[in-house]
Amino acid sequence: MSGGNSKNKARSKRHEGWEEAGGEFYQELYPGGEQELFENLQRADAAKLATLLPSKQARNTTTVKRVRSQNERRQSTYARTTQSRDIHLSMLPDLSENLSNEERTWEEIMQIKAMPVPMNQKRDIKARLQNATKLRLQGLEQLQWRQRKVWHRFSIRFTEIVGKLELWQSSLREIEGKFGTGVVSYFLFLRWLLFLNFAISSFVIVFLILPTVLLVEVEYECDDYAENSTICCSQAYLRRNLTEFNVVLSFIQGTGWMERTILFYGVYSDQLYTYFIKSLWDTEIFYNMPLSYILVPISWALFSLIAIVKTAAKGFKERLVESEGQFYMYCNLVFGGWDFCIQNDKSAKIKHKALYNEIKGCLEEERFKEEKQLRTRESQILMHLKRLLVHILVFAILIASGILIYVIFNYSMDKLNEEQNTHINNDFVNVTEKSPLRQYNETSYSFGQLQNTLLEFLPFITIVVLNIIVPEIFSYMIKFETYMPANTILISLLRTVLLRLSSLAVLLSQIYIQITDPDRIKCASFYEEFRLECWETYVGQQLYKLILTDFALQIVMTFIINLPRAFIARHTHSRCLKVIGTQDFYLPKHVLDIVYIQTIIWMGSFFCPFLPIIGTIFCFLIFYIKKFTCLTNCTPSPIVYKASKSKSLFMSVLLLGFVISIIPVAYSVAEITPSWNCGPFRGFDTVWEYVVETFDGFPYFVREIVFLLGTSTFAVPAFAVLLFFLYYYWAVAAANRHMVEVLKNQLVLEGHDKQFLLNRLSAFIRQHQKRCERRNRASFADDNSSVQHSSR
Amino acid sequence: MGQGKSQFTEEELQDYEDLTYFTKKEVLYAHQKFKALAPEKVGHNKNAKLPMAKVLQYPELRVNPFRDRICKVFSSSNDGDCTFEDFLDMMSVFSENAPKAVKAEHAFRIFDFDGDDMIGVSDLREVIERLCGSELKLSDSEIQQLVQSVLEEADLDDDGALSFAEFEHIIDKSSDFCHSFRIRL
Repeated sequence: MSGGNSKNKARSKRHEGWEEAGGEFYQELYPGGEQELFENLQRADAAKLATLLPSKQARNTTTVKRVRSQNERRQSTYARTTQSRDIHLSMLPDLSENLSNEERTWEEIMQIKAMPVPMNQKRDIKARLQNATKLRLQGLEQLQWRQRKVWHRFSIRFTEIVGKLELWQSSLREIEGKFGTGVVSYFLFLRWLLFLNFAISSFVIVFLILPTVLLVEVEYECDDYAENSTICCSQAYLRRNLTEFNVVLSFIQGTGWMERTILFYGVYSDQLYTYFIKSLWDTEIFYNMPLSYILVPISWALFSLIAIVKTAAKGFKERLVESEGQFYMYCNLVFGGWDFCIQNDKSAKIKHKALYNEIKGCLEEERFKEEKQLRTRESQILMHLKRLLVHILVFAILIASGILIYVIFNYSMDKLNEEQNTHINNDFVNVTEKSPLRQYNETSYSFGQLQNTLLEFLPFITIVVLNIIVPEIFSYMIKFETYMPANTILISLLRTVLLRLSSLAVLLSQIYIQITDPDRIKCASFYEEFRLECWETYVGQQLYKLILTDFALQIVMTFIINLPRAFIARHTHSRCLKVIGTQDFYLPKHVLDIVYIQTIIWMGSFFCPFLPIIGTIFCFLIFYIKKFTCLTNCTPSPIVYKASKSKSLFMSVLLLGFVISIIPVAYSVAEITPSWNCGPFRGFDTVWEYVVETFDGFPYFVREIVFLLGTSTFAVPAFAVLLFFLYYYWAVAAANRHMVEVLKNQLVLEGHDKQFLLNRLSAFIRQHQKRCERRNRASFADDNSSVQHSSR
Repeated sequence: MGQGKSQFTEEELQDYEDLTYFTKKEVLYAHQKFKALAPEKVGHNKNAKLPMAKVLQYPELRVNPFRDRICKVFSSSNDGDCTFEDFLDMMSVFSENAPKAVKAEHAFRIFDFDGDDMIGVSDLREVIERLCGSELKLSDSEIQQLVQSVLEEADLDDDGALSFAEFEHIIDKSSDFCHSFRIRL
């Protein structure tokens, strides 16, 4: 970089500097320094020799070096000054020795902030850099540099603005201060879900809801067609007078007037909207509603999948880097244990306690592992028996709750069917003879409505209540199985997930049985109302009700049950009441709450396109509910939640929920016949048939390409190539792993070498010192003797 | 932030912006926070030196088990007393934008209690004791075991202490460190 001349000059300049620094600098770049080195070594304490090693000297450069390797020599020289903070600035190498241009100077100024020196030194360095003579950039380079500078300033401004707009910043800070980073990562996850739902909603709004609202459907008359055609049936369904229902009740049930709104599948049109634009030579513009109705769910499903996988992959990568076995568990615990953001005395105390427990737990685990080998046969068998028993019990509870849901669902269905029949009869009576009984009927009618609503909601209330009670039982039972702490969380989480999913599965299978009932009347008539005239809407309604119930119970649990509990806990001294009252923020449970809601949203969005929008609103509100739970009701949990660990946990649970929710929807799209009376796919055997039919209308060229992708001539080579790549990367990874092992061994050997050499060196120095002393003493004796000699 | 502006010239702010991971507004905000620690003193002299006890009243520092070490590492006079510029340096390192390497550098110094440029057994013991707080005490053998485990994991060259390179290696692999070694302004 610099010529030999300037190097020499610099060396002579630095000369005083190195010495002043207490002989702490030496390097091979410095051939004339051997003498000095030796002197320094003598001066240094033998024990402190290690600090003179070049590796130690260079450590401060690592901070800066990483940023950029350009200009390395110069940087490493001034970064090295940071080693001891008392070094005067005069010591700094003259930075202006080789002229640099403006851009590089600016880059260097930007790097100063990474240097671990006090502000006034930084400022001096900056001033030095700024005042140094530098080349002005010319022409294009100047322009580019200007651009870079402007871009830099702009990006700072931009991040500032974005930071200000960031949602819930102060709330997150507050939670972080009280509960630490693990719990905050939960709230960040909640926010992430909000954005995901928002994105899905915008898909739905732009491509489904807006076209339906804005474009005008062509009306066909039923008369021209056969009695059982889709047009007649749907007209019968859509135009029939609605039975009068209570507005509020139909709002929460999604029936009555709500059924005919764009909330549900039923009202979406099966037509190609055509639109003439006069000014553009009478061009026709088409909007294919059914196609968009199937493409939108596919695209949001793909979008969510990509979003999840991308976020999970980031966490996964981190985990992979970390893993190398649970290598740095203890180091992470010791060095990354404290959350520096904690600012509250009480939570600091709890954090101390949590860390203490964690350390204890880790040590115990170690002992546990040792004991495991030592454990006697009987106790091992006893433990396994205990676990087996608990597993069986859990299984029994799961089945029992499934049966309970099944029975209640059937019961409420039967009751509702009965009710409907009598109701129709009543109506019939009312129409034929207007009796004075009518007044009486009205009141009983509204009472019946309420009863109906209750019956409608009964299965969902059961599900949600089970979801609240059963996990408590599980968490009580898991204490009897002596699992390791990390596994305890995982297993109880898994069981709870199973419970929630099985209850959903029972519900769906019940609905499925009803839908595929061969006796179901396919075509609606003007005069009579049947259940399941439009089964997609029905499914949508069920999930809509489920999500409402879940949300309502969240509110009830938080404000009506848990709030008084927390109040009791805070203001009582009795032990017993305290046990009832105190709640800690048990993360897995809260994660499940929102993942469950998200699962329902995914499942229902095909049948009820408004569900993502409702989900967005709920996520927004749930944030505040959970924040309230967290800050007001709960005390910090005595379990340490690691941010990275919990993040990957959230994502895997979410991915599971996604797969589970997409399967039934995909099945219904591929296999079940859509309703005749309603929706964009009336008249087709399956929804997928429509897609195939549309695909047949594509140009020949496109079709050929797609078919080619499906044939074996393409698939087999592609598969082979993929396998080849897989193998290649696997081999590279294996080689790297081996290399890491080798390097690690080498490092240990180097360390030993270093120790050995240092010992030898210090021994040598000691010897040398002794010899010097002896020589001194000898010369002193000589002097003395000569003095004596002369005096004589 | 209006009244804070009068205490700094545009030039100083530009300097601070260039030399820390903060924007000008954040610098002013930091100064407000600093001022809140000792209003009359800082109001008088914007860069007044506050004794360590005063600085430790900052909420996050007050409960931090390594509070005195943090102050000492960042204090330009090395005795724990901090001027505003020291405080700004501190907050800049703890801010979200500071890269991992910078954080690791300072964390190493914070954990290096005896200042011998290595995290040795005594340093590790001190860290562990401070982590557990004053009320809960681990037994001596437990601490010994933990220190041993830490060294087993991280002491690559087997010399009984963690050098900076080894420490940085750990930090590189720990995804939680960046989250936890952070104080929001």
